[in-house]
Amino acid sequence: MSNVQIKGAAVELDEDGFLVDPANWSEDVVAFFATQEEVGELTENHWKVIHYLRDYFQKFGVAPMIRKLCKDTGFTLKEIYEMFPSGPAKGACKLAGLPKPTGCV
Amino acid sequence: MARTDFGPPDYQELIPPIIKENYGNWKYHTVPRPGVLRHVSYSGAVLHSVRVASPRLVSSDWVRDICNIAEKYCDGYLRFTTRNNVEFLVADESKLQPLLTELDDKDFLIGGVGVSISNIVHTQGWIHCKSAVTDASGLTKSIMDQMTDYFTGKVKVPARLRIAVACCVNMCGACHCSDISIVGIHRTIPRVNDEMASRVCEIPNTIAACPTGAIRPNPKVKSVIINPEKCMMCGNCTAVCPAIKIMDPVNDGVSIWVGGKVSNARTAPMFSRLAIPFIPNEPPRWTTVTEAVRNLVDVWRTNAREGERMGEWINRIGWERFFKLADIPFTDKHLDDFTYAKTTFRSTTQFKF
Repeated sequence: MSNVQIKGAAVELDEDGFLVDPANWSEDVVAFFATQEEVGELTENHWKVIHYLRDYFQKFGVAPMIRKLCKDTGFTLKEIYEMFPSGPAKGACKLAGLPKPTGCV
Repeated sequence: MARTDFGPPDYQELIPPIIKENYGNWKYHTVPRPGVLRHVSYSGAVLHSVRVASPRLVSSDWVRDICNIAEKYCDGYLRFTTRNNVEFLVADESKLQPLLTELDDKDFLIGGVGVSISNIVHTQGWIHCKSAVTDASGLTKSIMDQMTDYFTGKVKVPARLRIAVACCVNMCGACHCSDISIVGIHRTIPRVNDEMASRVCEIPNTIAACPTGAIRPNPKVKSVIINPEKCMMCGNCTAVCPAIKIMDPVNDGVSIWVGGKVSNARTAPMFSRLAIPFIPNEPPRWTTVTEAVRNLVDVWRTNAREGERMGEWINRIGWERFFKLADIPFTDKHLDDFTYAKTTFRSTTQFKF
């Protein structure tokens, strides 16, 4: 657990750097995570993935399967990795403010 | 960017020249003494592999030590087996005896070959895993201290006997198909932290993770409710949702399963079956567990026929006789009550009183 200052607001992160409270999510948080996960500049495509993940989570209460993510956004897994070098779970889901992936990861 | 996706080093570059030259061309092997295999190829080449025990979790210093030994006697070649033993590959026969002497002097255990009790396949336990119900390394050490003479071949056994340890029912490793398996189990209903679950858990996933359908949603607080009547404490929900806790030092412990095998020799592969439903955790020596394992090995060793593995022996004499000979009480816990339970019930009048 740690607290970070993002644009003047204190945000609590767990040991893997995921949001402890999803209510803290904002575009500033995305920008902060983007530097952490070596995403670089956030493009329109990045936002497409992030908004898709958030919409899906709000609708169904779970993160989408990778196959579903690729099919719905039109990006291949390779393109997702090019946008989010640490991958769809550790990268994209973290930026989108989704819960940390669980199970035997 | 760093170089990625180039795979492990090609094993062909890492094997001794004698193996490379005779690859796929071996004629036969013998076991001249416990722990040593002698392989002879069609070209007449002879390779000795000397197997020694390893605790699996080792320091880099230990790895350097075995590298030095391999450098001295095996031209720098060694391998690890699928049960995490180490094999020194000796191409020069004159170096075999000096190697064995040095290994003896340095207290390495030579053995674990063929008809014997080899290394215990085990997992992380309290060393590294968040869902470990019991420890793996501690249990393994305690059991193998009792089994040393079986490993080194001092005491003979009728057939191979595989022991495995898994610290929870996820069973990373070989517990579901070993002659004797020690598996960590819970006996307490998990507790849900509603406030945390609403923030960090994917509720539909958590519900779907339950094998008995004991979990239902609790939409008011965006969490779940667990039905204690239906829960069998598998802990799967705790793996999916960190807000559900199941650990209980008093009621957690291990179960012991017997009769599994993976080979097709003589009989088809078998799953292990429950022998002892519960033994509490007793670190650091787990006396009751090691005593129970020793008893199972003894009763099998004295009763089984030559070449007959634990599961084959039990199937021949019947489970009634097994429970009687092993002096293990048969309880309601032994009755299968999961999906295919019916296939495990007796549908015949053939049984021993």
